[in-house]
Amino acid sequence: MQKEKCAHTWQMVNVTPCFIITEKCYHCGKISTYFSTGHNPPMEEYREGEHYWNFMESAQSIHFDLKCTKCNMLVKFDELLGVKMCTGCDENCEANTLLKKLEPERTWVYIAFGCLPVNEKKQLSKEKISILEEYFNQRRKSSKSRIKVISHEIVSNIEDCYAEVIKDVDMLSLTLPEK
Amino acid sequence: MKLQEIIDKVGLKKLTNVEVRNVQGVFISDMLSDVMTNAKSGNLWLTVQTHKNTVSAANLINLAAIVVTHGKEVPQETIDLANRFYVIILGSDLSTYELVSKLIGIGLKP
Repeated sequence: MQKEKCAHTWQMVNVTPCFIITEKCYHCGKISTYFSTGHNPPMEEYREGEHYWNFMESAQSIHFDLKCTKCNMLVKFDELLGVKMCTGCDENCEANTLLKKLEPERTWVYIAFGCLPVNEKKQLSKEKISILEEYFNQRRKSSKSRIKVISHEIVSNIEDCYAEVIKDVDMLSLTLPEK
Repeated sequence: MKLQEIIDKVGLKKLTNVEVRNVQGVFISDMLSDVMTNAKSGNLWLTVQTHKNTVSAANLINLAAIVVTHGKEVPQETIDLANRFYVIILGSDLSTYELVSKLIGIGLKP
């Protein structure tokens, strides 16, 4: 007999405070982003393969997983660095086209972004993006508006994207003072 | 409780467009990561944060409104973004503590 498919109800679990670290390689100019769960953000310069990573900035955020309260299925979100709200900063960006299409029905586009460089670090699967969207819409309850979560791979240039990132700025974040 | 009722009774300033909404509880935090984790849909969010990304967090969680306390000025770019995304921002000259006291006084439950 076929097992009945669970209509998942997602809950945020394994919430860990962390820093989003941004570094730049002064050898190739690439930007690197990742989570750090230490008490202080790592600011030392270091070498990794061909890259020479230098600390640029940090911001407080959270890392989390989602768990279904009905079937206990756990979905890990190690590849998710954060979400940001598309504000339509680039006329030629596919995210902007989607926002313009969905805005009249109050469906807002959020970009789930993973760690940089995109081609060197594992990125979120379509399935996980769909689960994330389901979670945020379940959390909105009776709202007449909806959330559409898309991958940062849809964004024309994620490094120049001005979408509003949900992270804590100017409070506990550390940025190197200008020389 | 209706948002307009709270605005009238507590004397909140409308910094953006306001529409009819039900308020279900209050959430107090100045950390967006805390809002992402613990705030609930329909909450009134009391904060001193005025950065544009508060709009992003409030919209994602579907909060009833953001209330900026201590009379802190909200930048025009935050107000413009909030109006575009139907996020309501209200202001109060009261401290967060004083405002909470008033909200409890009018019967708004946590």
